[in-house]
Amino acid sequence: MDQSEKKEMKWIYEEIVGRIPPFSLVSYQFSILLQLLFLLIIGLILGLIFNLRSISLFYGSLGILVAVLWSLLILQLGPTLRKFRAPLSKDENELLERYKGILFHSNHYEAIPGLAIFIPFMLYLFYYARGLLEYWLGKEPNIVLLIFVGLLIWDICYRMGLGIWTSVLALWRSLCLKKLAEKRTELEHTPYTELKYLRRLDINNVLFGIISLLLLPILQEDQFLTMIIILFILFVTMTSMISAFIVGKVPWLPPDIYNLVRESSFAYVGTSYKGIPHATPVVYVFDGQSIFFNTSKEAKKLKTMRKNRKVAFLIDKRDMSNIYENKAVLFTGEAKIYGIMDIPLRTFKMLSALHLFIKKYPEYTKKYSTSELPKAWQLTPIIARILVEVIPSRIIYWRGAKQISVPV
Amino acid sequence: MKIPDEMRNILYGNYFGYVCTCNKKDQQHLTPVFFVYDEQFQKIFFITNEKSKKVKNISENPNISITVDIRDPVNPFNNEGVMAQGTADITEKGPIYFLPEETLQLYRDIYLEFKSKYQAVIENRQLGENDVIVQINIEKMVYWKGPHFKSVRIGKDGSVS
Repeated sequence: MDQSEKKEMKWIYEEIVGRIPPFSLVSYQFSILLQLLFLLIIGLILGLIFNLRSISLFYGSLGILVAVLWSLLILQLGPTLRKFRAPLSKDENELLERYKGILFHSNHYEAIPGLAIFIPFMLYLFYYARGLLEYWLGKEPNIVLLIFVGLLIWDICYRMGLGIWTSVLALWRSLCLKKLAEKRTELEHTPYTELKYLRRLDINNVLFGIISLLLLPILQEDQFLTMIIILFILFVTMTSMISAFIVGKVPWLPPDIYNLVRESSFAYVGTSYKGIPHATPVVYVFDGQSIFFNTSKEAKKLKTMRKNRKVAFLIDKRDMSNIYENKAVLFTGEAKIYGIMDIPLRTFKMLSALHLFIKKYPEYTKKYSTSELPKAWQLTPIIARILVEVIPSRIIYWRGAKQISVPV
Repeated sequence: MKIPDEMRNILYGNYFGYVCTCNKKDQQHLTPVFFVYDEQFQKIFFITNEKSKKVKNISENPNISITVDIRDPVNPFNNEGVMAQGTADITEKGPIYFLPEETLQLYRDIYLEFKSKYQAVIENRQLGENDVIVQINIEKMVYWKGPHFKSVRIGKDGSVS
């Protein structure tokens, strides 16, 4: 049953394109390029037959380009959500199932906003903006030409509708997810990879909004339509940006681990090169999303990490009086070593990590700054102490003697 | 020659060791363990489950390191610790009647050592059915206190240099 449900997660457009050869025979990106070419050729032939001005051909091509770029972005939703793993929280899982259910409803609600744009637009075009139509196609255009342009307009309106539909649903999903995440207990969470997917889909929608700017030259003759399209661009871009921002704030660690990482003061870093392991204690900070530790420029582990990026990072709570309450979390993955090259793009991230270090270890910071220390130990930020971020690909968690693997 | 007193104090005075192993792809694994230290032969023993990731890694790559330290969240100059690097041997595992006498003796000795060190914690718990003893043959040890370091090399016979 699951299988058939997953297969049905398609929109009208995906379904139709998926069935017509030659589009059904080639891969998805390729089929979109093929459609572009197909429409473009028909448009150009019609343009030549009916002797259109070259500016008309240009506008037509621009319209097709926008539709195709939009398709490239928006049709990623289906495949991405199809490979989505279920969150380890009942409520969050239900929410995402509902989100997918509405997004890809078998009644094809996604076409409604498109129709709601298409019908008034056509009425407006034929009753109030004959000038625009004339500007596009000349006086008394042929019926074949009108049908082709009508189709093109539908193509664009349908996708504009999808843009609104997906960005509104995305914002709703992000807001609910953030709210549900606050009520998580113990090990409930939505894995890191899945949150990253959601964020990427939102960023796709921001691009979707920006691409709409290409429609402005086509509509420039009509002030009212220009205003509408600017509103549309602002709406889609802002909604998607807010949604991406909110998803970025959803913790990717379940509360048990989140609190352990938040509250512990020390961690151990395991590095290795050519199979010789090396383990040392470090100080670290956690900003709710990324884990950073700090190492001296002269440290052996830094030299090792430069040769082998893989690391293990362990945070634990040790208490001899009650070992069955002991907790530990092990992150294994890669280290991102920050250097001078990262300053232009990641200044804010680096400064905020530094600030967290000063807040978490005030005495350390004071003591490291004295000049009696060996040079490598002095806290000349970034220059002598190197900032390293842990990018996990696996998380293992122990509570007492019980081991639990937590998906990333 | 003996190992410096500071190293001995750390290794005898602490309950947790952090064992780092890595698989054949050089991906590390790091876990806390209970351990006992044997100064005479320069070995460290810990008990683990034979199905654990550590055991799997050791069978792929016997190199191992264990870190034992004291941490001070306020003053970094009080941070003190030892990291020992070497190779790991896993005592063979099998039905108790078929184990050679020396292995059995080792099991008994190590278990008694663990019992006396971790009395409060393990109480009367017996060695579990899937438990194995891992022996670390120390080859090198580093000691640090604050920013100061000391290191020693250890020969196959336990000699210190």
